[in-house]
Amino acid sequence: MSGVLRLQGQGNGCGYAAGPAYVSSEPLSPRGDPVSPSLEFESLDRAIADSVAALESLMAQTDPASADILEFQIEMLRDPVIAEMAAEQIGKGQNAAFSWVAALEEYIAGFEQSEDDDIRARAVDMTDIRDRVLRALEGMPAADFPKGSIFIGRDMAPSLFLAHDWTDGGGIVLEAGSTASHVALLSRAKGVPMVVGIGALSVEAATPILADGGSGLVVVHPSGADIAAIAGAEKAVLPVVPGFEADASRIVSESSVELLVNISDIAEIRSLDPGACDGIGLSRTEFLLSSAADLANEEKQFQLYCEILKWADGKPVTIRLLDLGGDKPLGGFGAEERNPFLGLRGIRLLLSMPVMLRIQARALLRAGAFGTIKVLLPMVTFPNEVEDTRRIFEEEAASLANRHIAISMPAIGMMVEVPAAAIMLDTFTDADFFSLGTNDLAQYLTAAARDNPSVGDLYRLAAPVLLRLIAQTVAVAHDMGKPIGLCGDLAGAPECLPSLIATGIRQISVAPSQLAAVKTALAQAGMDG
Amino acid sequence: MTDNRHGVFGGTSSAGGNASVELLITHGVGLHARPSVVFTRLAKSFPCTIEIEVNRSGLWLNAKSIVKVMGARIRKGSTLKIRAHGLRAEEAISVLEALFVNDFSEERPHVRGA
Repeated sequence: MSGVLRLQGQGNGCGYAAGPAYVSSEPLSPRGDPVSPSLEFESLDRAIADSVAALESLMAQTDPASADILEFQIEMLRDPVIAEMAAEQIGKGQNAAFSWVAALEEYIAGFEQSEDDDIRARAVDMTDIRDRVLRALEGMPAADFPKGSIFIGRDMAPSLFLAHDWTDGGGIVLEAGSTASHVALLSRAKGVPMVVGIGALSVEAATPILADGGSGLVVVHPSGADIAAIAGAEKAVLPVVPGFEADASRIVSESSVELLVNISDIAEIRSLDPGACDGIGLSRTEFLLSSAADLANEEKQFQLYCEILKWADGKPVTIRLLDLGGDKPLGGFGAEERNPFLGLRGIRLLLSMPVMLRIQARALLRAGAFGTIKVLLPMVTFPNEVEDTRRIFEEEAASLANRHIAISMPAIGMMVEVPAAAIMLDTFTDADFFSLGTNDLAQYLTAAARDNPSVGDLYRLAAPVLLRLIAQTVAVAHDMGKPIGLCGDLAGAPECLPSLIATGIRQISVAPSQLAAVKTALAQAGMDG
Repeated sequence: MTDNRHGVFGGTSSAGGNASVELLITHGVGLHARPSVVFTRLAKSFPCTIEIEVNRSGLWLNAKSIVKVMGARIRKGSTLKIRAHGLRAEEAISVLEALFVNDFSEERPHVRGA
């Protein structure tokens, strides 16, 4: 039995947790597990076999006429050609779900485009087959760890965080990591205590651990006095950015600020009263869709977007297209790049994988028929990315309309998080609205990766340059007559609000857990409308 | 071809394990879900290679693959050529042709026999 050990890291400001250690043995790195073609083949094979078995048991209980259709589906799935169609994509490093959908996309389109009604009707069978296998792929168990434990590892994949049940408490201690990483963002949104950057830590499984997200202290084998001391401590006050605080409340005291929420998990809105905010400013679909199979599942996405619209009850809903790559490698995308933050991520990845983009576009177009959706494009650098995406939405809209499916074309806006886009904002005439993403903008402006603790000080000093650029960008957007808002951690830091308001921003979007603090700060600044 | 009143034209030819037949699909449903199950199952029961070509496209597809056969999108008015190579090729062709002539054992004829 080893003695008490104290380690200092950076906390996420979300209270403390004590519990048994879960020591992550596998490299559950934020890069995710690269796609292994042989494993993906295996999953697809198993999903197809499971689907055949399910269809067979269904067939045993149906009348002969319906059994014909099921028999046809079984024959299709038993044909090795169908798996071979997906094999080509898997061989290129694509995961099983996408390879499956991509392989069938063209095949199904061939039926849909026929002038013959009977042939067109076959598309429905094929879609049914496709979705059955997708659901079977989704059912594959994901890695998880015991509830209530303190996760200890080098770093943590966002998908692992999302798959875990945090209702029994627990926390996260990372040897590396950064408070600006996506898992840090998720943990703050969910209020899960986290400490990062404590350096190497070697403990046995189930060792008692205390992690204080407030002070960044981690105690191995804590005493009752340690826990009591932390429980009694007050939270530290964060610094104010100089230069921008002075006359903020005076400048804008006559106009109010729209306050929206960012969501990463559908549970966040289920427990939130829509009356508490002005709508949803950012839906991070890469987190809302928790499995790689969901990314390929149009139906599941459609239902998710409809649920968000229903909750919003007429208030504005902004849904961001899948922002994969960087440190968000759901399904293995963007996993092998040397500099993932500077690589194929966000809209770049989507435009390079139009199958994934088209699936999401269709789900959004269909959901748009049930409420007003604004679509936000991540990581836009140049105007052609907005134009190309809009064209894809228009093509999918036309094809859905041909099939007499109710749709509505959404407003298409863009994240302003790449310095090139912020500086050249006036050239983005095709975008309907703008949303400043301060986390990425800060890391690109300072050339300091947000998940690298060794340059964390540089990243944290970004506020003045961010605010100057935001002020310029807001002025250009106003000249263009286009709405501009801000989502990102800068908006959720109450001490930064006066500086932010001084830049001209009148729409901010924060995590639901930050709503109360931001409202209080706005009220103090006389901005709560 | 247009003045041919019968659905089946061409006919069976064979030479050293090769056989083929060309059919004009006259049934509105063409070769879809249920018929394609029957057709490909029957094709699979023969040891020879069996392939189909639609509308003389020059593209020969494996007749034992229901995915390929469905993907050919055979419809009313399509010209379907079936060829077999190997053991029992001739028998395979005549049995497959009979399927069309006998209407896949359904009530309505897909092809009126010659």
